[in-house]
Amino acid sequence: MPKLIIDDIPVEVAEGTTVLEAAQSVDIPIPHFCWHPALGKAGACRVCAVKMLEGPVKGIQMSCMLPVQEGMVVSTTDPEAVAMRRAVIEWLMINHPHDCPVCDEGGECQLQDFTIAGGHGIRRYSGKKRTHVNQYLGPYIEHEMNRCIQCYRCVRFYQEYAGGTDFGVMGSAGRVYFGRFQEGQLESPFSGNLVDICPTGVFTDKTARFRARYWDYDMAPSVCPHCSLGCNTTPVARYRELLKTVARRNEAVNDWFICDRGRFSNSVVNDPLRPRRAVVDSRETGVAEALEALQLRIRDIEEQYGPGSIAVVGSSRMAQEAAELLPQLAHRIGAGALCFSTTRKEQVETLALLELLSAGRSASQQDVRNSDCIVIYGCDPLNEAPMMAMAARQAWRAGAKVYLIGQGISLPCEVTECTALEDVPLAEAERPIIICNVSVRVELLDKLQESHSHLKIAGLFPAANSFGAAQVMRETGAISLEEALADGEIKGIIAIEADIPAALLDGIPFVAALDWLAAAAVQAAQIVIPTTAWVEMDGSYINYEGRAQQFSKVMNPGVPIKGLDPNGHPPHSHRTVAPGGEALPAWQLLATLIKLLDDDSRGLS
Amino acid sequence: MKILSDIAALLTGMWITWKHMFRRPVTIQYPEEKRQPYPRYRARIVLTRDPDGGERCVACQLCSAACPVDCISMQPTEDTDGRRSAEWFRINFARCIFCGLCAEACPTLAIQMTPDFEICTRDIMDLVYEKEDLLIDGCGKSSHYNFYRHAGIGVTQPRGNGAEELPPVDVRGLLP
Amino acid sequence: MMYDTIDIALLLAKIALVFFVILTLAAYLVFAERKVLAWIQDRKGPNRVGPFGLLQPLADLIKLLTKEDFRPIGADKWLFYLAPAMAAIPAIMIFAVIPFGAPLTLFGHTVLLQVSDLNVGLLLFMALSSIAVYGVALGGWASNSKYALLGSIRGLAQLISYELSMGLSLVPVVMLARSFRLSDIVNAQSGCWFIVYQPLAFVIFLISIAAECKRIPFELPEAEGELVAGFHTEYSGMRFGLFFVGEYINIIVLGGLAATFFLGGWHGPFLPPVVWFSAKVLAFAFLFIWMRGTLPRLRYDQLMHFGWKILTPLALVNIVVTGWWLVLRG
Ligand code: SF4
Ligand code: SF4
Ligand code: SF4
Ligand code: SF4
Repeated sequence: MPKLIIDDIPVEVAEGTTVLEAAQSVDIPIPHFCWHPALGKAGACRVCAVKMLEGPVKGIQMSCMLPVQEGMVVSTTDPEAVAMRRAVIEWLMINHPHDCPVCDEGGECQLQDFTIAGGHGIRRYSGKKRTHVNQYLGPYIEHEMNRCIQCYRCVRFYQEYAGGTDFGVMGSAGRVYFGRFQEGQLESPFSGNLVDICPTGVFTDKTARFRARYWDYDMAPSVCPHCSLGCNTTPVARYRELLKTVARRNEAVNDWFICDRGRFSNSVVNDPLRPRRAVVDSRETGVAEALEALQLRIRDIEEQYGPGSIAVVGSSRMAQEAAELLPQLAHRIGAGALCFSTTRKEQVETLALLELLSAGRSASQQDVRNSDCIVIYGCDPLNEAPMMAMAARQAWRAGAKVYLIGQGISLPCEVTECTALEDVPLAEAERPIIICNVSVRVELLDKLQESHSHLKIAGLFPAANSFGAAQVMRETGAISLEEALADGEIKGIIAIEADIPAALLDGIPFVAALDWLAAAAVQAAQIVIPTTAWVEMDGSYINYEGRAQQFSKVMNPGVPIKGLDPNGHPPHSHRTVAPGGEALPAWQLLATLIKLLDDDSRGLS
Repeated sequence: MKILSDIAALLTGMWITWKHMFRRPVTIQYPEEKRQPYPRYRARIVLTRDPDGGERCVACQLCSAACPVDCISMQPTEDTDGRRSAEWFRINFARCIFCGLCAEACPTLAIQMTPDFEICTRDIMDLVYEKEDLLIDGCGKSSHYNFYRHAGIGVTQPRGNGAEELPPVDVRGLLP
Repeated sequence: MMYDTIDIALLLAKIALVFFVILTLAAYLVFAERKVLAWIQDRKGPNRVGPFGLLQPLADLIKLLTKEDFRPIGADKWLFYLAPAMAAIPAIMIFAVIPFGAPLTLFGHTVLLQVSDLNVGLLLFMALSSIAVYGVALGGWASNSKYALLGSIRGLAQLISYELSMGLSLVPVVMLARSFRLSDIVNAQSGCWFIVYQPLAFVIFLISIAAECKRIPFELPEAEGELVAGFHTEYSGMRFGLFFVGEYINIIVLGGLAATFFLGGWHGPFLPPVVWFSAKVLAFAFLFIWMRGTLPRLRYDQLMHFGWKILTPLALVNIVVTGWWLVLRG
């Protein structure tokens, strides 16, 4: 391991590390645009200049391009290096428009930060600026090419990292252009990452265009709920409106990026049709009253139809905290059934996959990226869990072989098609991984695992907390709703964030729904209590590999100010709860309900 | 001796205050007497228009970020011509301390201070000024500046037609 | 001693008169203070209520009476209510022994212009002024507030320290007049005021009474800049008003005493004695206001240092010298 000295601090780093990374490891920041930890070096921007005082190379060097060597003495503060960086910043700004106030990147812009840090304030160059014509890149991404500083990050990400083919670099010299050959929507399902990766405002999130500034954001670390991978995100909200979602780095999970589904599915949270107020028999009321009404109605149903006539139905999209409370609720009311799934098939498959993965063999996204042999077995990662396909591509880029068993499935990497697992040379691989989903034939994999002790499995579940819900299912012997309803004994359904098909609700005399989506149960229910979406609460999901991940409250629940009568804002009468802000996390409602039932039974006995 | 000089110091002070008792007071008897503030006096805030009559404010939120008492709020929006502007813009003068930091922060010279300091009302809610109350029909203090003419992203003129811009690049041309 | 009806009526009339005059004077002293301070600071002072702002004290009174009577949580209720009275009442009681004019003859009675001509008047004054300390101490203690408590502790230490030098500075006066009776002291100065024989004692007394009535530069128990309002931080409305008025009554009373002890009381040429007396009292009041407009506040250690290491020893030396001089003179 080479030793070197950076700004008088001795550093020892692994062979092959660049000087820039070595400096970052001891918290010395060196400005950079083209270099990115996930994309590596390009040497395009020249802004990471440092001065080498001693050692094998001397003088001004680009720290992102230079691997560390024994005996280097580096100064980031040498006047020559500072002057160089200042000059680079100044010439990067030669063509940059004068439009920060109307740029959505302003406030979270690397170019702004380094320009100011570099001390460049007043334009000295009197020539004209080169301009470009922008392209329409679809409904999600806004293009403003005049702002480009030619760092090549976008194209390196889009083509090399994500395997997209419809976006690239055109033109030459000072006129290079980053875009599509023809206008049109970007095809890659990872295109949204251009917004994060571009150090300036060429690509901005069109869905959050002109909505807010960085310093006004409500932000908190969160987890993507849109598939079972549990990619880490930072949702951004303002004025009770979820504006956008950006990727949050987690090396073990999604690393730097997220997919477009995770990034652009924010409108569900702001949906005007979301249940916002508690409803009892088509009458709006407070949450506390609705809970009391629910408790009384539970007692009525039991008196009328006998014990065991109520089913408590959860789902695999509810937070783990709520899933854990469901058995307790079922126990308190002596429910006839506790369900987490709709069909029996779904139930059996999920439990089987859970059993397979519980042996401690499940593969994280990082394992997939580091694998040397990947088998895509009967699933479609690009549709079911896009970042898994991205992980497989990274493994492929590093030299892994990717085998595909299944028809009509496309992947962002080269694959070898096989017909059966036997055709895959698993034994030769050091870190083989099979990617499958719940429809897999578990016995096969079970057997395979016995013979290949180093085999890991990435099993894609259908929803964000399927793994956690399945665990509760397994421990409590929950059955599927289909089975529960089969004998006609169930007369009441309490649906907690459950997606029950409307057909199953037909003929059930009493339905109560606790949900934040306008699901079928909410339409059919006599009692509706609003719950909070994941961004409006603290909670956790257990992802496909059994990794429990917490998410924090980003924003307060409530109708977005954008949707309210503009004359009514600001409200000239003061209130403690925002309009439509009575929703509570499902786990909190369940805990309250359980307590109500407990108090009641104690009072009765 | 120190004590004597101390006593002398005390007596000097007493003598000075004694003299001041017979000076003319500097008090101005507002509201009967009024004094005309200087044009750059910092009081009631206005939003100005550019020389072409458009709203100068681009709702960039820099003023609200600079404001030490957080009394400015706004919602940016996109107009049909691509201009960024304020959907609503609100200053709570009940909270404003007239420090002028907003005017200093404004990159478009939209927000400006005026010398009109008499804005008291009985109902505190009347001190919440909306965009309609703030917007005036003139340019205020800087009569020539139009941000969009220099922004370089083609809103008031086609892209590449601004004073400091070259015509758009033909990306398919490979000539050096 | 026997009293007839007229004596009692006269006594009651004198008490009523003293009460009325002192309270009105105190109220207008507040007004005068605000005016004089304003002039010193090149302002106009209160001038909106009534002609020249003359009704300002009335407006203040109405304001104080109608304000919320606030008591902090955890305050000691009875002590909290008692303290303002303890501050104002002893101050006004001292006036009972001060002669404010030459004796008159009315309906064949000799009427002393003094509520009561006690033979230990000076001692009564010392005793009552010690009691006034309780107002400060209890008020600060009962408020259940840190600022108030700190203010009252400072007040206690300050008042006790300066009481000592004040008492000692009066000993030469008693030695010269050979009586504790205030009318005797006044009469002893019919020829020459004691300030001539006792300039040092006068200065010590003046400084000590400034400290006694907690005026700048000795207003450490209140010390706005440090302690909000010191011992009366938590008081509002008329209870605060009592503390406030108590301070001004104190100024009047102590001014009267200074006049009595050193400036010949009501003695003076040409003008009637009551006028002479009033003029002397007002002169002292003006001096206090003027000082407030000029001097900064002392630091606490300076205050203690000055009281104990300078004033008290000086007063003692003064006594010894006076005694020596009296003996020599025979
Ligand atoms: S568009 Fe952005 S990421 Fe791409 S080269 Fe330009 S500045 Fe870099
Ligand atoms: S891969 Fe799944 S978890 Fe990750 S961002 Fe996309 S939808 Fe969300
Ligand atoms: S003058 Fe100061 S306080 Fe008032 S709005 Fe501007 S920044 Fe805020
Ligand atoms: S700083 Fe100027 S342009 Fe920006 S929002 Fe405020 S007034 Fe508008």
